[in-house]
Amino acid sequence: MTPCDALRRLVSPYLDGELLGEDRADFEAHVRGCAACRASLEQERAVVRAVQESLPLYEAPASLRERVAELAHKPEAVPAPPPPSLPSLLGTRLGRVALAVAAVLAIALAAAMLLRAPRAASPPRAAGAFASLAVDTHLRHARGQLPLEVRSELPAEVSGFFDGRVPFQLTLPAYPVGPGERKPYRLVGGRLVAFQDDYAAYVAYQMDERPISLLVTSSERVRPEGGEAVVQGGLTFHIESVSGLKVITWTDKGLTYALASDLAVTGSRSCMVCHGSAAERRRFEGL
Amino acid sequence: MKGAQARAGGDEAFRRSAVACLDGLYGFALALTRDRRAAEDLVQETYARAFAAARRPQPEENLRGWLFTILGNTWKNERKRKRPEPVADVERLAPSRLPDPEAALDRRELRERLRAALDALPDAFREVVVLRCVEGFSYQEVASIVGCPAGTVMSRLARARALLRHSLGPLHASRPGKVEA
Repeated sequence: MTPCDALRRLVSPYLDGELLGEDRADFEAHVRGCAACRASLEQERAVVRAVQESLPLYEAPASLRERVAELAHKPEAVPAPPPPSLPSLLGTRLGRVALAVAAVLAIALAAAMLLRAPRAASPPRAAGAFASLAVDTHLRHARGQLPLEVRSELPAEVSGFFDGRVPFQLTLPAYPVGPGERKPYRLVGGRLVAFQDDYAAYVAYQMDERPISLLVTSSERVRPEGGEAVVQGGLTFHIESVSGLKVITWTDKGLTYALASDLAVTGSRSCMVCHGSAAERRRFEGL
Repeated sequence: MKGAQARAGGDEAFRRSAVACLDGLYGFALALTRDRRAAEDLVQETYARAFAAARRPQPEENLRGWLFTILGNTWKNERKRKRPEPVADVERLAPSRLPDPEAALDRRELRERLRAALDALPDAFREVVVLRCVEGFSYQEVASIVGCPAGTVMSRLARARALLRHSLGPLHASRPGKVEA
């Protein structure tokens, strides 16, 4: 397979905004210098444009509109079997563990976030792109293909690295650990990751030597959506499976987070919430 | 009483938001059934199931994705009960079946040509094109609705667009786009 063959497979995800970060930059660099690939890109772009210019492509007939309106106004609709739902990750112990991790990070981070520079409104489908970027970054880091720009277990040191480099202030929390207790997971470091036309903050953690990734951006850029939504402690966590990894996204205090992990942790980690204060524990009872 | 009123208000908002998805659902149903009557019935069945559902998506959840998933699954179950559909014949995509590609591309004609080209696509390709290109779902959302990996969505989309390009003939040759910096 030539480099062109490989890159032409990326034309669709490029045009659909699904090719991100360095992959996107690599693709654009190649296309600038390759007339054949540029032609492929333009041909497919023309089809995308043709569809967009033809919208709305379908309109429901008046008769159907009336039938649906009638259904909508019935106090009790016709009983039917329960509808299908997106796969529930919460049904598993590991799902609960991931949510507990997200919850701990959420409450710890919540107190320390301050949005510094408002940005343009989030484009549609940005949530999917952000979750995918979290997974992509997580995998590349786990494979050793994405070196960290700051390596430290000290939250203040990693926070300091992001200061002035991302358009928001990120202050990573220090977890309260009592005498004889061990931190449930440790901070490894962080780096910048290209997202849209700016940087997101990537923070790497480890739990039992397994990587856990946290990606942070402004909530003006991304509003979490989709997946299984779970409300805990006043926050809404969106839980989904992306490329075999579990991703939990949520927004709090002007920032949006995506937590990616393979959840291959041993033993129960639900007790991680106990590492917060008593008040915080109460917020997350039942996780 | 307050709780009952809140539930009633939430129910009304849910139904209103659901009805707002009607055109999109109808387009998806047409893509699946290729028959107006069957598409209408499928949409009606989808709304009946949605309104009767014991578990509804929360306001923050993706209501559209939920409705499209119900529709897709209802269609799959419907097909299981009936005989399997014949596999679409890609050879039917001969450009001669479509309007003259050299004719003026006004919006209406383009729409008609596109509908014809979409109709001629294999089922699996048509549904991903409608969900992604018409409804704007992400690859991951399309994968959830259709029930296949995101990588499959990507490859089907690429192939579907190649077939559409073949069917539609020259398009906007004088309007090259730019590669983003």
